[in-house]
Amino acid sequence: MATTLGGRLFGQLSSSVRHAMTRNYVTVVTGAGVKLTNQPEKRSSDVATITVDEKVDISSITGVPEEHVKTRMVRIFIPARNAMQSGSYGMRRWKIEFDVRERWENPLMGWTSTGDPLSNMEVTFSTKEDAMAFCEKNGWDFFIEEPKKPTFKKKSYGANFSWDKKTRVSTK
Amino acid sequence: MAGRAIQQGVKQVKPILSTNHAEAKRRVLNLYKAWYRHVPYVVKDFDVPITVKQGREKLRELFMKNKHVTDIRTIDLLVIKGQMDLVETAGIWKQRPHIMMYFQDTVNPRPPGFLEKFYEGHDP
Repeated sequence: MATTLGGRLFGQLSSSVRHAMTRNYVTVVTGAGVKLTNQPEKRSSDVATITVDEKVDISSITGVPEEHVKTRMVRIFIPARNAMQSGSYGMRRWKIEFDVRERWENPLMGWTSTGDPLSNMEVTFSTKEDAMAFCEKNGWDFFIEEPKKPTFKKKSYGANFSWDKKTRVSTK
Repeated sequence: MAGRAIQQGVKQVKPILSTNHAEAKRRVLNLYKAWYRHVPYVVKDFDVPITVKQGREKLRELFMKNKHVTDIRTIDLLVIKGQMDLVETAGIWKQRPHIMMYFQDTVNPRPPGFLEKFYEGHDP
């Protein structure tokens, strides 16, 4: 799962760059008399595949500022269930959330502002491993909050009247 | 539990340009040389308050910033982006501020420590 996600995103990025390069094919002669094109040299050989590390780090090509790569901590979690009568539909996906940066309040309207571009990022994943791979690929530190599994407590009306439970309080 | 190394081992992928490290390295060196030779013309064309030496130092710094990259495909993409940047520079499709952006001389440095941030009044 992690592999496909990494491969897919990487593939997208590279194909977009390649697309841009083939579309706007130009030649420029530099001052030094060097002829430059933004078309890369062709592959030297027709090798179908190469072997690379499974671990992909795209942080050097995404253009994300260094401070938002090295200093951010990501929390990977499943949202808690709404305490009201809503269902548990929101609990089916893993989410990521970044550490909170400075926020301030607008003095006139009371709106809350932040300078943090990652504060409102909502990404959901179907598995924990996907989220971990995503964070790793982007160079973020992360920690995982496992969801608390509710234990099923057996309750019955008849137990209220059983002779050996502390539930029978009226006529002991 | 700050976990790492979810992605382990190796995998087979389609190459972007280079098929091995030697080839990727050659592409990087070619790009570096092209930029190196072009720096005097950048200084002249854009009339920036930068000496050729400073420009080359910056060039080296920017290349060395990515020296930790080992993935062949990442190196290729960085080379492609560098090549596009060079073409944009050589064609003078840029303006002076675009060149000066490499030097970041208008950027206020971030306060480094706890006390400095406190003096700043907030944590930017």
